[in-house]
Amino acid sequence: MLTCLCAVLWHLPAVPALNRTGDLGPGPSIQKTYDLTRYLEHQLRSLAGTYLNYLGPPFNEPDFNPPRLGAETLPRATVDLDVWRSLDDRLRLAQNYEAYSHLLCYVRGLDRQAATAELRRGLGHFCTSLQGLLGSIAGVMAALGYPLPQPLPGTEPTWAPGPAHSDFLQKMDDFWLLKELQTWLWRSAKDFNRLKKKMQPSAAAITLRLKAPGF
Amino acid sequence: MLTVKTWIVQVLFLLLTSESIGELVNPCGYITPESPVVQLGSNFTAVCVLKEKCMKSYHVNASYIFWKTNHVTVPSEQYTVINSTASSVTFTNISLSNTQLTCNIRTFGQIDQNVYGIRIVSGLPPEKPKNLSCIVNEGEKMRCQWDPGRETFLDTNFTLKSEWATEKFDDCKTKRGTPTTCTLSYFPVYFVYLEVWVEAENALGNVTSDHINFDPVDKVKPNPPQNLSVSNSEELSTILKLTWLNSNILDFLILKYSIEYRTKDASAWSQIPPEDTASTRSSFTVQDLKPYTEYVFRIRCMKADGKGFWSDWSEEASGVTYEARPSKAPSFWYKIDKSHSHGTRSVQLIWKALPLAEANGRILDYEVTLTRWKSRLQNYTVNDTKLKVNLTSDRYIASLTARNTVGRSDTSVLTIPAYDFQATHPVTDLKAFPKDNVLWVEWTAPGKPVIKYIVEWCVLSDRAPCIPDWQQEDGAVRSTYLKGDLEESKCYLLTVTPVYADGPGSPASVKAYLKQAPPSRGPTVRTKKVGKNEAVLEWDQLPVDVQNGFIRNYTIFYRTIIGNETAVNVDSSHTEYTLSSLTSDTLYMVRMAAFTDEGGKDGPEFTFTTPKFAQGEIEAIVVPVCLAFLLITLLGVLFCFNKRDLIKKHIWPNVPDPSKSHIAQWSPHTPPRHNFNPKEQMYPDGNFTDVSVVEIEPNDKKPFPEDLKSLDLFKKEKISTEGHSSGIGGSSCMSSSRPSISSSDENESAQNTASTVQYSTVVHSGYRHQVPSVQVFSRSESTQPLLDSEERPEDLQLVDNVDGSDSVLPRQQYFKQNCNQLETSPDMSQFERSKQVSSVSEEDFVRLQQQQISDPIPQSCGSGQMKMFPEVSSADAFTGPVTEGQVENFEAVGIEAMVDEGMPKSYLPQTVRRGGYIPQ
Repeated sequence: MLTCLCAVLWHLPAVPALNRTGDLGPGPSIQKTYDLTRYLEHQLRSLAGTYLNYLGPPFNEPDFNPPRLGAETLPRATVDLDVWRSLDDRLRLAQNYEAYSHLLCYVRGLDRQAATAELRRGLGHFCTSLQGLLGSIAGVMAALGYPLPQPLPGTEPTWAPGPAHSDFLQKMDDFWLLKELQTWLWRSAKDFNRLKKKMQPSAAAITLRLKAPGF
Repeated sequence: MLTVKTWIVQVLFLLLTSESIGELVNPCGYITPESPVVQLGSNFTAVCVLKEKCMKSYHVNASYIFWKTNHVTVPSEQYTVINSTASSVTFTNISLSNTQLTCNIRTFGQIDQNVYGIRIVSGLPPEKPKNLSCIVNEGEKMRCQWDPGRETFLDTNFTLKSEWATEKFDDCKTKRGTPTTCTLSYFPVYFVYLEVWVEAENALGNVTSDHINFDPVDKVKPNPPQNLSVSNSEELSTILKLTWLNSNILDFLILKYSIEYRTKDASAWSQIPPEDTASTRSSFTVQDLKPYTEYVFRIRCMKADGKGFWSDWSEEASGVTYEARPSKAPSFWYKIDKSHSHGTRSVQLIWKALPLAEANGRILDYEVTLTRWKSRLQNYTVNDTKLKVNLTSDRYIASLTARNTVGRSDTSVLTIPAYDFQATHPVTDLKAFPKDNVLWVEWTAPGKPVIKYIVEWCVLSDRAPCIPDWQQEDGAVRSTYLKGDLEESKCYLLTVTPVYADGPGSPASVKAYLKQAPPSRGPTVRTKKVGKNEAVLEWDQLPVDVQNGFIRNYTIFYRTIIGNETAVNVDSSHTEYTLSSLTSDTLYMVRMAAFTDEGGKDGPEFTFTTPKFAQGEIEAIVVPVCLAFLLITLLGVLFCFNKRDLIKKHIWPNVPDPSKSHIAQWSPHTPPRHNFNPKEQMYPDGNFTDVSVVEIEPNDKKPFPEDLKSLDLFKKEKISTEGHSSGIGGSSCMSSSRPSISSSDENESAQNTASTVQYSTVVHSGYRHQVPSVQVFSRSESTQPLLDSEERPEDLQLVDNVDGSDSVLPRQQYFKQNCNQLETSPDMSQFERSKQVSSVSEEDFVRLQQQQISDPIPQSCGSGQMKMFPEVSSADAFTGPVTEGQVENFEAVGIEAMVDEGMPKSYLPQTVRRGGYIPQ
């Protein structure tokens, strides 16, 4: 069921993208996407605190920093700086899109497990926001004329709590999901900030070109 | 109630007549549509179909159907019989919102039976919702509201729909009580555009509002900043620092702020320039504040780009700026006690406590320094705002500073001039006027440079002394307002004193009111003098306590009881006014009103009556009349005196002197040719053809004692014999009724008596008038002894004759009365007197008959009466025709007696003087 849901999410960009700003160019939608990543960071901060408390010790301890075990399927946000710099806009956006597609799928799994109503509500809202981010990235890509990345066969997110997972490992997966989400949001903020800066001169150039015939 | 019963009966009937007993209700027919909802204003048709079995049972068909709406039969024109079993009814332009429609049949026997009933509901389809707007209170779900449009009269559902391009969210259904607002069930996702619209739906249709597409973050209303606090700075007394806590929304939003502040006592807020607080922050320093002043602050925030809503105001927070040294020197003035003894004067230095805005802190004390020429300083530290010192007659310089915890103020310097200093140079054109609820005073500066002005004022009142308040103004000031608590309707005396380097100048004063009012009471008017046609009114100036303003003029209202009121305006400087053109002998009511600029007040009413005559008018009439009367009298007397010979000739006929007659021609025995009647006829002729012989005894002196005796006798006996004298007097002096009596008397007696008797009568009369002295009478009488025996019978006879005559009796009574009652009862009425007399008269006459009385008796009485005749005559003028004649006689006698008094020449007296009658 969950797999099916994740598969649907994976194909989500087929539907119209969000935050399309039409004639104004991609600038405003990039800004919106950047703001959205900040907003998601803000949300995640409060959500993570609540959820880690829900997981209990040692996951809610400030200096808890376990080795990454299990959750290999989670997309990694950490990347070599040179590699990151070498990425072009399309690739960078595509990586973001793919990552959040997977992450969203995993977060929905958290939603199912959450015990308290408040936590479920917070997770639900975060999921919706994350879905909005996904649509927003799709909008930016559409605005820039990039095609949405097509899911490769066999790479669909197959994350599902199996009987092999112990409760602790399950919690460890959740912990790493939240951690990876946070890292991705930081990275995305950086990505979109870079993209935003990159887009502004072109906007200025357009203004100049528009004025040029006047001379 | 009747309807309900009928209904029940019909239902029971239907139940009983229904074919299938087993079914509870098996109607005879049905209506289509079953439950219609009709749009207002549209047409509606219902069809009633009867069942075959029913038709057979009741022997009816569709033409028997009739319709009712709300129990009122629908006109048959609206029916249409479709076939034998169905009939329809059509309503046009439906306006009722809720109608009960029934299909009925009229069976045999005119019994109406209800076949079926439906309820028609009518209303309107929903209008397109307008003005859809949404708001997101921070931390809450989004709430949207809209304008639903017209009333539909039907249950209308509104659904708020929202979606992303990629996802539809749950619908928001309005609650019954709030059909125009709805709160979405999910938390909004910021920075993602959301499409929102409203769908309205009821039985007659549904409609969708315009779609709005927005980022929910642009609809955010943040929570207000929390924990606002204010702190001051010791370094800067004009700043306060605000700090607050922002909400979490700050993590992803940029905020701007609005900060307002006010002093604690003020009500209006001042705003910090918005550009200073246009970005996210958590503290702000407010500058340019007043030292040592408490300020109140509040703050709110919103998204920096201006999209969204301002938060509510935060809770207010207050703080006090730090103290600074006093910014101004205190106002400084002095008062000198007038008394100057032993070379010292008592001076009270006074100053004003600095207002908080100038004190810049709490004033700890004041330092006063007094400097005398070439003398050491005298220092005082005072907590109060006055200082009393004793100074010599010299000139002093006083200086004053105020001190607070931070520092001391500038110094106020005041020169207290020497004792013999003469103040000069007052301000000119001093004016005071109210404006904007304060009292302004302005003046023209004197020619000399002025350091400062002292403005003093106090309330002028008769009840309380003038206790001045004061304030200080800079030397450059030309007008100011009084900064004290002034009362309305009070007269203020304002004094402006310029202060020069060498001491104060001459003060100038002016009176003013903050706000005038009508006087509390009006002036009391009274008359000073009232004349026949004018009255001088006077009044007192109103006391200053009741004036309530400047008395601009008075108005005098005066009127008679019936007349219209007349108003006269009088200038306020007057205290007297003369009303002229008044009507004499009239009651006037006068009152007076005093007017200030704000109105007038009437005083009490005063009444006065103008006299009938002007002062001296009576005198002016009476005195001339009296004078004229006196003059006429005098002229008359003079005339009489001048013409006495002529008068005498007319009144006293020239009786021939017997002594000059020739004895040879005189015969005593010659009988008279004719009767001695009447005398009047005889006198004018002047012919004395009949000559009587009078025999007079040489004994002249004898009768006199007898006269006296007879007078006594007369009084005692109350017998009047002046019939003779009166008769004689009347006949001799005036021609009146009397002569007729005497003539008739004499006429009768003439036949029985000798002519001597007649003669003696003449003599007697003339004698009496000419010489009204007793002595003369007595002498006249003295001629009578010879005639005594002859005369007596005449007297007796006269009385006898009179006895039966009514005309004579009252006359006698009258004389008697006058003689008797002159002293005793002058007021007794004539009637009483007559009665008295009449009761006495009979016996008196009897006595008279027995008495041997001589003529002098009535004459003496008569002489006494003569003096009083004029007085009595008027009183007795109404006694009747008889006495009237007497009165005339008496008056004549009186006048003649007066005129002839002392007359040396008369007929008989001459004779007498010569020693009586000399027989020839």
